[in-house]
Amino acid sequence: MRISLSDVRKSFGSVEVVKGLNLDVEDGEFLVLLGASGSGKTTALRMIAGLETVSDGRIAIGGRDVTDVLPKYRDVAMVFQSYALYPHKTVFDNIAYPLAVRKRPKAEIEAAVKDVARQVQLDALLDRYPRQLSGGQRQRVALARAIIRRPAAFLMDEPLSNLDAKLRGHMRAELKHMQHKLGITTIYVTHDQIEAMTLAHRVAVLERGVLQQLDTPANIYNRPANLFVAGFIGSPPMNFLDGELVDGRFSAVAGSFGTTSRATRTQAVAGIRPEDCRVAAPSDGQIAGDVYATELIGDHTLVTCRCGGEMVTVKADKEFDRSVGEAIGVALAPRAIHLFDRQSGDRIV
Amino acid sequence: MRVERPSLLRRLIEPPNLETLAPIPKVATYAALIAWSLVVLMPLYWVVITSFKLPVEVDTGPYYLPFIDFRPSLDAWHYIFVDLGNDTLRPYANSVVVALASTTLAVLIGSLAAYALVRIRFKVKFASIVAFIALVIGVIVAVVELQVPWQLAVVIAIALFILSLGTIARRFRAGLGNNDIEFWIISNRIMPPVVAVLPIYIMFQQLHLLDTHIALISTYTAVNLPIVVWLTRDFFAGVPIDLEESAEMDGASKFRVFFTIALPLVRSGLVATFMLVLILAWNEYLLALFLSNANAQTMPLLVSAQNGTRGPQWWYMSVLIVIMVAPVVVVAMFLQKHIARGLLVGAVKG
Amino acid sequence: MTVALETKHTTAVSTGFAEWIDRQSGRIMVLPAVLLILTFALFPLIVSAYLALSRFALASGGYRLTFVGLYNFRRLLVGVQQYHFLGTFKTFGPLAWILLAIVLLGLLMWLTRYVRSGRAGVFGLIGRLISASVAAGVTLAVLATIVAGGFPGSFVTTLFYVFAGVAVQFVLGLGLALLCAQPIRARNWFRVIFFIPLTVTPVGIAYTFRMLADMQKGPFEPVIHWLGLGEWSWATEPWSARFIIIVGDTWQWTPFLFIVLLAAIESQPRDQIEAARLDGASNLQIFRDVTWPSIAPVAATVVLIRLIEAFKIIDLPNVLTNGGPGLATESMTLHAFIAWRTQDLGGSAAIGYILLFISTVTCVSFFNYVVMCARGYQS
Repeated sequence: MRISLSDVRKSFGSVEVVKGLNLDVEDGEFLVLLGASGSGKTTALRMIAGLETVSDGRIAIGGRDVTDVLPKYRDVAMVFQSYALYPHKTVFDNIAYPLAVRKRPKAEIEAAVKDVARQVQLDALLDRYPRQLSGGQRQRVALARAIIRRPAAFLMDEPLSNLDAKLRGHMRAELKHMQHKLGITTIYVTHDQIEAMTLAHRVAVLERGVLQQLDTPANIYNRPANLFVAGFIGSPPMNFLDGELVDGRFSAVAGSFGTTSRATRTQAVAGIRPEDCRVAAPSDGQIAGDVYATELIGDHTLVTCRCGGEMVTVKADKEFDRSVGEAIGVALAPRAIHLFDRQSGDRIV
Repeated sequence: MRVERPSLLRRLIEPPNLETLAPIPKVATYAALIAWSLVVLMPLYWVVITSFKLPVEVDTGPYYLPFIDFRPSLDAWHYIFVDLGNDTLRPYANSVVVALASTTLAVLIGSLAAYALVRIRFKVKFASIVAFIALVIGVIVAVVELQVPWQLAVVIAIALFILSLGTIARRFRAGLGNNDIEFWIISNRIMPPVVAVLPIYIMFQQLHLLDTHIALISTYTAVNLPIVVWLTRDFFAGVPIDLEESAEMDGASKFRVFFTIALPLVRSGLVATFMLVLILAWNEYLLALFLSNANAQTMPLLVSAQNGTRGPQWWYMSVLIVIMVAPVVVVAMFLQKHIARGLLVGAVKG
Repeated sequence: MTVALETKHTTAVSTGFAEWIDRQSGRIMVLPAVLLILTFALFPLIVSAYLALSRFALASGGYRLTFVGLYNFRRLLVGVQQYHFLGTFKTFGPLAWILLAIVLLGLLMWLTRYVRSGRAGVFGLIGRLISASVAAGVTLAVLATIVAGGFPGSFVTTLFYVFAGVAVQFVLGLGLALLCAQPIRARNWFRVIFFIPLTVTPVGIAYTFRMLADMQKGPFEPVIHWLGLGEWSWATEPWSARFIIIVGDTWQWTPFLFIVLLAAIESQPRDQIEAARLDGASNLQIFRDVTWPSIAPVAATVVLIRLIEAFKIIDLPNVLTNGGPGLATESMTLHAFIAWRTQDLGGSAAIGYILLFISTVTCVSFFNYVVMCARGYQS
């Protein structure tokens, strides 16, 4: 089912938390709402679920205006960050709850629960209680409870954040596979950009209640729409240099270089990702400085260079052996340079 | 977009979102709550207006509204305060003194004990408990059957007890720990006062302390200790121990730590406990009934003494009830939040 | 390099008086409380035991206490005072027999289930046997006096006040709390208003209710007149008198349950409620599946606290009805007070002890079987 938000706003008292959000989610799409805490992403999700009222704007699910409809009639299922399992019910009863509440016949419930439990590999644990399960198992129960109704959409509120790193990676793959198989529209909230990049068909980046960019992960990564998105996505983060742009030539304290742009801006910011930089001899690179720190990651080395007062991180290969304080040059691939207006933060085309 | 419009019936019963009530449930809820508010306020209202009525107005039937049904007069008030002046003031002053004094003592002693029970490990030997009980029985038998003067018996018993602590108790290891001591203190609440009040009456009679402030204050303090310990124990348990430990490392004694660090930190909980115990002490009836007479009479007794031979004189009674009830009600209304929190802490921790 | 070794002789730390105080500080802190409770609780308890086992008589120049063993208890339970304490028995009718059979069967099943459960221990079994026998005895007394058409004594009347009163107060308190927990605007106002009865002096409220319940002069007179009950007085019928006492008790104590239950309802896990709402649960289902399991431990504890206090009831029966009509509304505490007034110290102490016994068994049983079970609801 398609989900659309039209100019949705939400204020708590005098604080506006979501400002004029417009979003169209395609049927079967996995959309990730990505942002830091306080960005309004969770509030937006709860408004779609009906757990929060809308201060302004409309929300539609499957072409139906649900802005004034109670959550139970919206045909959406939610996976909470805390899983929200009922502690005194068995795993079976937890998963069966959506159907039991609607008074489905017992045989139908049993068949459905067993089927879903098999899908999330919980069939051996149906008689246990939540307190006897591990974090990952509880998360799968929450997932199963959401799946069993075959809702019009899944809403997920940071479901993996309470799991340890290794389990998180495993569950990411499971979630992606499951969503693909079921084909149900999914809106997923997270602050973790890796989850966003790996799981999403499209990512909506939110900051302080305003949508920054809505695009595929690749485009978000390769063509960030503004300074915020550029700095938020990517690890290690993009390098930024303040400077001036004249006819496409960028001049900063650390050096000047040409770009693929033809624009002129007195206050511009040039951004370049560490993997698009190369260490070079001091006279060879577009910018020059000295080595500030080196970190051997394993398969590569992160070299932080101090160039003209600003820090530039470069991904070098694992055999990098220059020492701290050595003069060094940084070569930049012109096609990989991103340019932003320093005032508005917007991308300069 | 198709906009849904649920049926009229649905719109009356079900709300459009989770933050409001639908019309019918809303009306029903408010109606029920307002109804109970009337039930709560009606007796109080009745008492207040009755205090402004003349005897003839009370006897001839119900009059509801001042200035409309009947003319309010200050006759009853005048009688109680001026004509009976001292007879009213004395019990009132007694109530104030006894309630405040016993509550302060109870909170002080109780919080001190609760703090010790939370921070320090105790071990009470079974042997010493058995010795205590045996000695008490011995004193009773000696005084009653053998006609030994009770002062002598008590002194001998205390001496024997201290002796036994040093010798017999040392031989036996088994004992009760902190939890058991706590449980014992708190379980005293189950004991119906009527079981204890007779011996307490006899005790004060022998000490010639019947009908004095001291008798009531000490008894009230003891009776309310369990509640204080029960509530403040949880407050102290919630204070992080680091602050106290660092103070002790700086050389402060345990008493100093208690008064300067622990106590201020649980201030709001103490206020709640104080208020709760104050209410209990102010309203107490049974013990005052047994232990006081003319001198130390408290307000509840004064009120119940108004039972004249022809039936209670409701107009005078109402004035007494109003001045007895008003202070506590006013205090409670302002501190309701604190007191409620105190009750909840106790109930949740159980 | 050689390292010079210095042996320092540490002088023994002199234990000053201040040090000794500090080491004893635990005992000193607890001492006042323990002393007070020993003097005003434990000591009287033992003396009362002695009094209960003796007979008090005024003699020249003072009094005389003679040891009489269980005489006082026998008098109350099977002797001259039985009509006063337990009540007047009538022969069982069919209804009484059926009820007795149901109760005894239920207790038996409960006991066997425990023994079979595999977690049985000696103390557990003894405790349950005590609870079961007391329950059976109480049932007999209640059936013989109330159901069979006899007259309940102070023992049965007290139990009536306790169980009927607490049940009504709990249901009312829970209902009010649930209503107040709805999204309404004046919640804090209602909280403050509903809190007031707790603070009102019971004696004062007893007299006020007497005023209110006056058939001729009270505010309900028009209603009573319209219902045609003008000539009837509630104080002359045992059950209407008991009912009025329950009304007064409920007015006073419902706020206690209300406040605690409301706070418990407000702190229930929000995410489970939201999940249930999304799953389509109705208000009733949410109460059954989320709210009730969440507040069960607090509810059980607060009912226990109320039970403990309820056994002690005296103000209302004393002031509202003076124990009347006859003995109909006498509670055990009131009975003990009356005995004391007639110089029957032994009887008074005996009643007190039976009250202590029944309170303790009820409260400990309730704690073990209900409170602990409710606590198991939570993860």
